[in-house]
Formats: sequence, C-alpha cells, structure tokens
Amino acid sequence: MVRTDERLIDGAPMQPVRCLRCSATVQARKASWQQTSLQWNAEAAGACEERPAERGERFEACGALRDSVRAAAVEGSLEVPEA
Amino acid sequence: MSPTRSDHDTVRTIEAQELPTRFARGWHCLGLSERFGDGRPHKVRAFGRDLVVFRGGDGNLNVLDAHCRHMGGNLAEGTVKGNEIACPFHDWRWGGDGRCKQIPYSRRVPLRARTAAWTALDQDGLLFVWNDPEGKPPPEEVAIPRIEGAGREDWTGWYWNELVVDANCREVVDNVVDMAHFFYVHYSFPTYFKNVFEGHVATQYMNGVGREDVQPPSTSGSPKMLGNTSVASYYGPSFMVDDLTYHYEGMDVESVLINCHYPVDADRFVLQYGVIVRRGEGLEGEAADETAAQMAGYIAKGFEQDIEIWQSKARIDNPLLCEEDGPVYQLRRWYEQFYVDADEVTPEMVDRFEFELDTTRPVEAWRAEVESNLAQRAAESGTV
Repeated sequence: MVRTDERLIDGAPMQPVRCLRCSATVQARKASWQQTSLQWNAEAAGACEERPAERGERFEACGALRDSVRAAAVEGSLEVPEA
Repeated sequence: MSPTRSDHDTVRTIEAQELPTRFARGWHCLGLSERFGDGRPHKVRAFGRDLVVFRGGDGNLNVLDAHCRHMGGNLAEGTVKGNEIACPFHDWRWGGDGRCKQIPYSRRVPLRARTAAWTALDQDGLLFVWNDPEGKPPPEEVAIPRIEGAGREDWTGWYWNELVVDANCREVVDNVVDMAHFFYVHYSFPTYFKNVFEGHVATQYMNGVGREDVQPPSTSGSPKMLGNTSVASYYGPSFMVDDLTYHYEGMDVESVLINCHYPVDADRFVLQYGVIVRRGEGLEGEAADETAAQMAGYIAKGFEQDIEIWQSKARIDNPLLCEEDGPVYQLRRWYEQFYVDADEVTPEMVDRFEFELDTTRPVEAWRAEVESNLAQRAAESGTV
C-alpha cells in the first residue's frame, strides 16, 4: 500500500511549475527557501532537454528547471512558507 | 490558557501491516563469486527457500533450488560432478539449467525432471541472482551496472563482509532518505542531502564534513580529513553502489562502496558490504589496501550501529516526519514497484521524484552539539 506524505496535507502542497526552457510542467513544493520537492511525470521527463538519454544514468538536477522553480518562488506563484 | 482540543491532539499510533508475503523482484547479490567457485556446492537460504550454488566444470556459476525433485535430498550436501550437481541421496545429476541430465541407475530420466534454476550473473567479482515471483527473465533495462574500478590493477580488490540481520529488509532501504540518522547513529555530519528516484534507481547525494568530537585528535603527520562526497544509488531493490570520495588536506581518496542485501525470510536478511579503493598518488601499493581494510572496518561499525537500532525498533508504515526529514513515503512508493507484478507498476512508483533537503537548521543544531561535546571533553580532560 502506498501512503501519502502527511507533510503535503499539513504543510505546503505540491503546485505546478512550468519549466522556462522546455515548457514541461512538474509538481513542485518548497517547505522553505532551501528545500525543494519535484514530482515529474513521463511527459515532463520526455520534454526535458538536459536529462540524459540513457536510462539509469545519474542525473542530479535539471538546471533550467531549478532556475524556473527559483523564479516561481521569488515571484510568488510557488508558495514558500515563512520560516 | 489550555490548548484547544482538535484532531491534532489525538495520540498518534504506529501502524504496520503484516510483512510482505513475497520477495522483491530484482537482482540480488549473493556475495563474492570466488566464495562459490571452489567446485563444491554452497547452501544459501534466500527468498524463503533453500538454494544451492555451485560452479560446474565449465566454469559457470549455477543457482538451483536446493531440494532434489526426486525424493527431496539436499543438493547443497551433494557433490559437483562435471557440470552437474549430484544429489547425495540417489546421485541424480542436475544441470545449471534445472534439468536432470542423468540418473546413473536408470535407463532414462523421467518426464517433468526439471527443478527451479535461478538466473545468475557473475560480474565484477560478484554473484547475482534474479528473483521474480512471476518467473519472468530479467529485463535488460534493470541490468546491474558495471563497477568501473572492480578487477582493475589501479584499484584494490574487494574488502567484503556480511552480517545476518533479524528484521525485514525495508529497514536498510529506508536509510536512503534518512539524513538525520547519519549524525545520531553513525556520528557523521551531513551538510548536503538530496534524493532522486527514477525508474528502478533510487539515489542519495550526500556531502559531509568530519566530526571533531568523535574523531581521535589527528596524529601529527597524518592528513586531516576535511569531508566526503557520496553519490549512492540502489539499482533495483537491493544493490547499492556508492561512489564515495574522502577529501583530505592535499588529496582525495576515491572508493566504491557496495551496500547490498538479500532476504532470507520475511523477517531476516543478509546484509553485505564491500569496498574497493583507487590506488594513486599518496596511496600506492599496500597503503591503498590498508585504507580499504580500514574503511571496511568503519562500514562494519556503521552497520552494527544500524542493527542495534533495527533490533529494538518497531516496523512503522506511517512514520511521523518533520520537514527536515527525507522523503520516506516517496521512497517506499518507489520501493513498492518491486513487490507488485510488473504490469501493476504504476507511473507514480517510477516517475522521477527529487527531494532536496534544507540542511540549514540541522547543520546549525549539529554544529552546536559538536561544540558542546568538544567543550565538555576539554573540561573533563582539564579536571583530570
């Protein structure tokens, strides 16, 4: 059985963020300025231009998506709880 | 002023379902292949059954169900004859493909003379076996990646060890996301922590610094340890490859650490770890081997610390998390893919998920704790 992370219910929710480079949408969450959760789907993974083609190859982060999430947080479209 | 009573005031209960009745689909490492390669049968208890591992005359490592389908004799107590394992009970000869090849006292082998043969892989000095409750062969895309330094002259050989743990193997997998326990249980000091789950791979990126309060004061001449960089991935449910670099003043020590396990039963598993270290400037010849052996010692200590926790902890399906904990629920969602039939794997189990932890508060708190430990140590040594 797969359970839900209660932090998503009690704290900030996941919210859509669109990548400024490839236009794919992922679900993002920030519990603080330094914390980020990103839920991709197959469509976003397919659209990403930085993601390596080879399956299983390590890929720590998409730089363009990181910048997009930061921009969304700064402009306020992605909620960041007060510390 | 008394607090208002709400749903949040009810006592939190620990929930735990029954242990899973099936074993994870995936490649599992049984240990160093050389251990099984002496031409004798080896008994392995895994996936709730008894297996026999043997190397035939052709050099191939084979894994079969241990019990002979004739009258139930244990092949692990038998003898390797040519490419086959001979049952100690009536000398029935079984090949690595699971077929009975010969019954010396019979004119012919009966129909149905086939036992369970496990798909095995001998790679980088390690023996792997494929478990699939549905009985399908391993898909190419979940192949165990090659370990670059294994078997190479500029790296040491494996320093390998195993421990039997009386717990369900989910406990060890949970470590992938559990940053805080690295400070409290293992006396390390993470400063950066991120997880990425995608497909059958779950990765932990962790950087850390040394802890002065637990290290013996460095002896003059030996380089000071500054910190470490670790990128560790589970490829499937049980085999983790950790590219681990220790940073010292003036040099880096590169290593590959394997952390893997196979289930014995639902509530027991064999935990194994191995390490190889790259030889290089400042770490030539025996120095690299000494380092690898020393690292294996540290890892052993680390797992003993884990085991002490596991042996008295409760299995918990609903961990109560603070925001500075890692993504336990999302890790378990990823892990679930190995416990359902292949066609029941849902996108949420395999879609890419990233979680970067905010280490600001943990690092502050841990710095203060280290300082306080050092002050206490200084005070104690001052009063002696």
